[in-house]
Amino acid sequence: MTVSQVLSVVVFVGAYVLIATERVHRVAAALGGAALMLALGLTDGETAFHSLDAGVDWNVVFLLLGMMIIVGVIKQTGLFEYLAIAAAKRAGGRPYAMLVMLVVITAVASAALDNVTTVLLIAPVTFLVCDRLGLNPIPFLIAEVMASNIGGTATLIGDPPNIIIASRSGLSFNDFLVHLAPFVVVLMAVFVVVCRWLFRDAFRYDEKRVAEVMALSEREAIRDRTLLVQSLVVLALVLTGFVLHSTLHVDPSVVALLGAGLLVLVSKVTTEQAIADVEWETLVFFMGLFVMVGALVKTGVIGEVSRALADAVGGEPLLAVMALLVISALLSAIVDNIPYVATMSPIVGELVAAQGGTPQAESLWWSLALGADLGGNATAVGASANVVVLGLAARNGTPISFWQFTRYGIVVAGLSILLAAPYLWLRYFLLA
Amino acid sequence: MVRLTDDALAAARLIAEQRRPGVVVVDGEGRPVTVLPGSQVLRFSVPGYVQEDPSLARVYDEQGGADVCLRNLSGRSVKEVLPPEEKRYELPMVSGEATVLECAATMARLRTPLIVVSDDEEIHGVVTASHLLEVILNASEPRA
Repeated sequence: MTVSQVLSVVVFVGAYVLIATERVHRVAAALGGAALMLALGLTDGETAFHSLDAGVDWNVVFLLLGMMIIVGVIKQTGLFEYLAIAAAKRAGGRPYAMLVMLVVITAVASAALDNVTTVLLIAPVTFLVCDRLGLNPIPFLIAEVMASNIGGTATLIGDPPNIIIASRSGLSFNDFLVHLAPFVVVLMAVFVVVCRWLFRDAFRYDEKRVAEVMALSEREAIRDRTLLVQSLVVLALVLTGFVLHSTLHVDPSVVALLGAGLLVLVSKVTTEQAIADVEWETLVFFMGLFVMVGALVKTGVIGEVSRALADAVGGEPLLAVMALLVISALLSAIVDNIPYVATMSPIVGELVAAQGGTPQAESLWWSLALGADLGGNATAVGASANVVVLGLAARNGTPISFWQFTRYGIVVAGLSILLAAPYLWLRYFLLA
Repeated sequence: MVRLTDDALAAARLIAEQRRPGVVVVDGEGRPVTVLPGSQVLRFSVPGYVQEDPSLARVYDEQGGADVCLRNLSGRSVKEVLPPEEKRYELPMVSGEATVLECAATMARLRTPLIVVSDDEEIHGVVTASHLLEVILNASEPRA
């Protein structure tokens, strides 16, 4: 290894350890790592800001920004509160039926919006209906956050790792729909059945309290009907734009930015309100990560790792797909899946290219996405949405401990990977 | 005044029925500990999820909204309704010799709607913000 390669690995591993152990804020660690890479000459401004392969992936940053603005506006309409209360009433207050409806709403919403926002919207209304029925909200919250992580796996925009994978691989919104969504639908069906067993003690309720749920008025939750219509129309246009982006030759990031701009333009939402929910920290974190990973690409570390991996699994693509699935799931269970996917994407890109870009080789991307997205369900810290729900639960006086979450999480994540493995084998090897 | 061990619902009734901005909380020996403002009673009684997502407040009818607040207060002591000790309001207290401006300055600094007047652990009484304003306004009237 050259000196620059050793230096870039030391800086990268140091920053990664700081991110994983949360010894310093993850943004500080990523930016500090990026600054060191630049200061040591391991990358340069031209590469960091303008290189498609080794620089900040602006497609990812602006896609996230556009969607954050759209979600921030939709949040103000009260749509989620309406849907959740209507679902609870339609379920007649029966806890299991209610849980099924809430997790389906969460999963569908997570496919179109980011997971953290979805659980932030669904959790308060979950507390409300559980409070009315005298139910323990913890099983509902855990099921919802897991559904959010599963649902987010289905689309290009559902989970940040998918956005990174799409940008690095060139796979389209429709590719994600065709390759991941069918599996996610099956997984959700299995998950709903498993919830009946996992949370079997949570479904006892007092029928006399059902009237308290039925007395809730979901229509009152809608704060601004005009804004609701405008938001839904723009969201529909954006989703259509995503579906057609490869035909129209427009990047998903451009579609999202156009949607965000249109929504701000047609609605009475002020610019301040529109950008109030943009998570600037997350965007800066991504930029720092991209600069660090870009330095590994520029110094040739990624190329060497890819060649070593290609040599190791060269003759056995199935082994590579399965190993990537399991390793991604295990690592995503204990560390943030965003830096993991940001690091692995260039490596997987080179492995796919080395194998000639065949459908079997491309299944490495789906293996990475399924492992990283679904592995996050395993522990309380495996995904950002899990951490957010734990915080909300603690603030509402029903704290969820790390192990309380994890004992359910390991079952669900393990089951997800056990189902994902035969799916990848059947679809890309046996039936290919 | 209410004791730390008193029923929170009774304290809420005292604030409501006597239209007070809050009550002074005393310990077992009658020494003032802190002030429990009406806003803190409301903060405790309104469910956290409604405070997180205010649009949920609209989905209750009036009776349902009152029930949920009462349910949160019932069976609780005054001590449970108070914020955790590290976030508790500093006891707003002045001596019996304090001038109107001293009282006003202490209330402004601590942003409290009432202040305890006390010397040597003996409580003389409580001054409310509205009474203090009344005194200030009346004092300035002859010159107006």
